Amino acid sequence: MSAVLQSLVNQPYKHGFVTDIESDIAPKGLSEEIIRLISAKKNEPEWLLAFRLKAYQHWLTMTEPEWQNVRYPKIDFQDISYYSAPKPKKKLASMDEVDPELLRTFEKLGVPMHERAALAGVAVDVIFDSVSVTTTYKQKLAEVGIIFCSISEAVHTHPELIQKYLGTVVPVGDNYFAALNSAVFTDGSFCFIPKGVKCPMDLSTYFRINTEGSGQFERTLIIAEEGASVSYLEGCTAPRFDTNQLHAAVVELVALDNADIKYSTVQNWYAGDEKGIGGIYNFVTKRGLAKGINSRISWTQVETGSAITWKYPSCILRGENSVGEFYSVAVTNNYQQADTGTKMIHIGKNTRSTIISKGISAGHSNSSYRGLVRVAPTAEGARNYSQCDSMLIGDQCGAHTFPYIQVHNNSAQVEHEASTSKIGEDQLFYFSQRGIGAEEAVSMIINGFCKDVFQQLPMEFAVEATKLLSFKLEGSVG
Amino acid sequence: MTESPHADYLAGLLRSWSEKPTRPLSWLNELRAEAIDRVSKQAFPTKRDEEWRFTDISTLTHLPYLPSRPETSLQLQDIDHLFLPEAKNRLVFVDGHFHQQLSSLKNPDELIIGNLPDFSASHSSILESHLGQHAAFDHNIFTALNTAFLRDSALLIIPKNTTVADPVHLLFIAIQPEVTSYPRCLLIGEMGSSVTLVEEYATLAQSAYITNSVTEIALAANAHANHVRIQRESKQAFHLANCSVALDHASRYQSTSLSLGSQISRYNLDIRLAEEAAECSVDGLTLISNRQLADTHTCIDHVKPNGTSHQQHKCIVDGAAHAVFNGKIIVRPHAQRTNSSQSSRNLLLSKTAQIDTKPQLEIFADDVKCAHGATVGQLDPEEIFYLKSRGLSEVAARNLLTYAFGAEIISRISIPSLKQQLEQIVLNQTQSN
Repeated sequence: MSAVLQSLVNQPYKHGFVTDIESDIAPKGLSEEIIRLISAKKNEPEWLLAFRLKAYQHWLTMTEPEWQNVRYPKIDFQDISYYSAPKPKKKLASMDEVDPELLRTFEKLGVPMHERAALAGVAVDVIFDSVSVTTTYKQKLAEVGIIFCSISEAVHTHPELIQKYLGTVVPVGDNYFAALNSAVFTDGSFCFIPKGVKCPMDLSTYFRINTEGSGQFERTLIIAEEGASVSYLEGCTAPRFDTNQLHAAVVELVALDNADIKYSTVQNWYAGDEKGIGGIYNFVTKRGLAKGINSRISWTQVETGSAITWKYPSCILRGENSVGEFYSVAVTNNYQQADTGTKMIHIGKNTRSTIISKGISAGHSNSSYRGLVRVAPTAEGARNYSQCDSMLIGDQCGAHTFPYIQVHNNSAQVEHEASTSKIGEDQLFYFSQRGIGAEEAVSMIINGFCKDVFQQLPMEFAVEATKLLSFKLEGSVG
Repeated sequence: MTESPHADYLAGLLRSWSEKPTRPLSWLNELRAEAIDRVSKQAFPTKRDEEWRFTDISTLTHLPYLPSRPETSLQLQDIDHLFLPEAKNRLVFVDGHFHQQLSSLKNPDELIIGNLPDFSASHSSILESHLGQHAAFDHNIFTALNTAFLRDSALLIIPKNTTVADPVHLLFIAIQPEVTSYPRCLLIGEMGSSVTLVEEYATLAQSAYITNSVTEIALAANAHANHVRIQRESKQAFHLANCSVALDHASRYQSTSLSLGSQISRYNLDIRLAEEAAECSVDGLTLISNRQLADTHTCIDHVKPNGTSHQQHKCIVDGAAHAVFNGKIIVRPHAQRTNSSQSSRNLLLSKTAQIDTKPQLEIFADDVKCAHGATVGQLDPEEIFYLKSRGLSEVAARNLLTYAFGAEIISRISIPSLKQQLEQIVLNQTQSN
């Protein structure tokens, strides 16, 4: 049995290849000049440059955090190139004009975007190394008044919205990596759903880190006005490299009265080899502000990749009756590390939050759940339910739980539960008795373990996630 | 050091420390010297330290409270209301100093009990291998201070295969205002022994003072200890306590601790299941009101396989009080078949009461059963409704349920007179009109 499991675990990374497109790379290092260069390259207005410089000044005064339960060699921030873009081209009129090399890349990834877009009804805002190359389905969305474009485009077309909301959920000095991102972000997605509009399709963007040694600093901003609703999908793959790549993104969500934002992520970046060499550092700040009454923000994430995953998609529940949700599956294998969880900050009356977190560790990996549930004195009648379960596969890995519960209001009800389990011999025996092989049995047990989270994913993601998990853990049980 | 805001208190203590040996025992003097050296290399924790995030002790660090002096004026009738009729053996310490006349030793042949300096010559080797060996002071300034000022100490050695039928009562009484006292206990349970120990901190005056206590408990194979700890210091006092427990093969440790008094109290309980099949059950109740702050940090460390630990910690918080609980459970690599459960349950009785709880798991072995849970809230409206449907008033229903919430922990105490006393305290504190 263990041989089967061994072979299953050791499946190589399927998406490891490098696309050869001439990159326009900024010199390595971070300074005010580099920030001015990025801003100039992107032809940005003065206020955005001021925003970047303010963030940079903040960043200079900050020290790198050390409290996290992940270990990595010190990052040399002067050894990173902060800007790389495919060579500027003239505006694209149709798919035919897209660089065929680029199209082939998507082909290899198994997501031919036109097909995928057509089949699944998904508008894909393709991010290729920090610069938006093409956007599909824009027109269909524009008909109902939805703005869905790259953030650098939005800076020019809708500066008032960007200026109003950028940095309001994650302030420039929020944390070390958010400050860095605010100073040097190159591109990302912007999405604005006007009053009363239900977005007719799931919005999706495809991130891909391409140039070796270039950190990617994405910035995403999603705004749902009164009564609007949107489901946003984010999926990630990255080519195989041996030098660690830093990814420090910032995602900000704003939901006004009765608005509903659902943000789903499947993350499968290169995790390093079986010795723990290479892989992406995924240090991301994701936060949603449920600003209006009855608003709802829901995070769903399936984290299977990256050498280090370190993020806490959070909800600030300010509006009365607002709802925050967090559903997460984090899988670590080999020498991967994950320190992930959420923060639910209850400020408004009768705010509710749910946290479901499933951690699976195999090999020599370590996975931590770290969560904060804070009930402010103003959050009359707040309610939280948290459940975090861990599964350990093998005796070399670790699972950790750090739930912080801070309650300052006596009408609040907060519940937290956690458990740890493993795939038992008796479970596998039961399956084999029914004629189901070990490999399939493990896959079924794990999918059962993660069911509560997968149910929250949009259909096509749920299918991908299920498959992803099975091949991630192939060979690790036995 | 001189720039630190803590300089007054620390510097005062450092000055008052004398190298003069109490007994000609070199290892003990070395231990004290090593501890004072550690003190001088550390600073008081602030809210920036993860372990002290919710407990601000900056007020304490400004108090120039020097170590207490022995006080002998206390008479038996002043404190006999604190005695337990069941406990034949009683050691009384006044402001940390042993008080022979108030203590009572009924069966000294059966076990070794008394003030540590009286045994330091006769039992030097066993003391050397335990004293200061379980409560590490390298990174704990309070333990370091206690060790540096170590003089009197409750000592209890239960010989091999001895079962001490009656509970042993260690009574630490504070009477002097504005001093720091350093109570210390050492319990060594030899192979197959069994004992019930009541460690109680009480006061006769509602004044401000600092208690910095350290307890070390070492249980050899198959030994058993039932440890009841009651902290009912003055409401103005500061109580900083560390208890370290080391468990050998198949030994069993039961702990019931109550935090009732003090302006600011902190109790660190570290249990190390150092050998296979050790067991511990750890229960706690914090019952505070007004502007009290009670912080309980426990760490249960499963080092070897087949260990079992069960923990239940409850807090009832009224007024503008603030309760903190941090329960860490570590399962080391290869500590397979560990079975561990932990629950933190908290009841907030007023709008301004506060709770910070963090049940924490760190697991490095796969064949384990670990679960923890935490709840914060009010009384269950359905339970209140049920009682009301039986004819109880709203207030009576609430009082009854609050009392029952706390009484669950007290019911684990096996000493009838103590149980009754504590039940009365919980009853009084949880009644509102």
